[in-house]
Amino acid sequence: MDGIPDDELVAAVAKGDEDACRELMKRHLGRVVALARRMLGNQDDAEEIAQEVFLRVWKHAEKWEPGRAQFSTWLHRVGTNLCLDRLRKQGMDDLDAIPEPASEDPTPYEAMAQKDVARRVEAALQQLPPRQRLAITLSHYQGLTNIEAAQVMDVTVEAVESLLGRARRALKAALATEKDELLRKMNTGA
Amino acid sequence: MMNAGPMTLERLDSLLAAYGADEAGWPAGERQAAHELIAASDEARRLLEEARELDALLNAAPVEKPSAELVERLMAARPRELPRELTGARRASGGMRKKGGSLRGFAAALWPYGSSAFPAGALAASLVLGIALGTSTGISPIATNNGVAITATETADSTDDQLIAIALADSGYIEEWTQ
Repeated sequence: MDGIPDDELVAAVAKGDEDACRELMKRHLGRVVALARRMLGNQDDAEEIAQEVFLRVWKHAEKWEPGRAQFSTWLHRVGTNLCLDRLRKQGMDDLDAIPEPASEDPTPYEAMAQKDVARRVEAALQQLPPRQRLAITLSHYQGLTNIEAAQVMDVTVEAVESLLGRARRALKAALATEKDELLRKMNTGA
Repeated sequence: MMNAGPMTLERLDSLLAAYGADEAGWPAGERQAAHELIAASDEARRLLEEARELDALLNAAPVEKPSAELVERLMAARPRELPRELTGARRASGGMRKKGGSLRGFAAALWPYGSSAFPAGALAASLVLGIALGTSTGISPIATNNGVAITATETADSTDDQLIAIALADSGYIEEWTQ
């Protein structure tokens, strides 16, 4: 099924084709989980969001209009909306505000004291305001173009570029203290 | 924010600050000018190297793959095909396999959007209710009631995830998927 376009797979999903369902998940489920993981900061919440996204695919597959939108971009948009809804329910009403660290979570500086590079970067990401975190997630981690990211976020390309610039500068500052150590560890695998 | 003029160090700095060092992410209309500036300027190359370092740090935070349990939950909740003998529909897509026997197909016709275990569970629950009512009027033996009740309980356990999944699918996003 490698060469079958997403639109055709969605049509086959609507007809109950098991192989099409598996192929569609093979192509996109990991990316939706990754998007939600970056936005929400934990795997359980990310899998819940991904489940909700794909349940909507199953439910609405027969209404999918080929050519109206790129399926992967649409998936990102649904996943993004669900993530932002979840953040609002958690009290994050201002999507441009810097999140309060959860009591159990390390601050970026505390996280810096930890040895795991991945956790330091993750902590720095989670300290970004949600819209900046979304921009860097869509652009850097999900590989969307600036135009696609703007469609997903329902903002202009210029707004995406501004959010990205602020996000990367904040991350650079948050990770500056031990940047050299982190890069050395990564290069040596230590 | 887009710059149609010659690339400057200031614009390159903004571009790298936003999109990183991977040129695939740069706006297509500015790639060539950025390349030319990087080739000609030590400062431009320093900015590029800084962006590369931040990219490397960001890439040090990988994410986990979806769990097998998530995949199986979603497969259990996938749409089911209406059987040809009931719908008269012809399969349009070549090479797509049709799965399940006639009993499974009949169950899918009764309950096309969830596990075929759902109508079975509902039927079992109905039997329990019917027998319980019968017992209250002294018609059904208790031993039979217990036997069916256990069956219904096991069926309910096995379909629990699927019922939750179906309920989730019904919440919101009715008219526009993305709202």
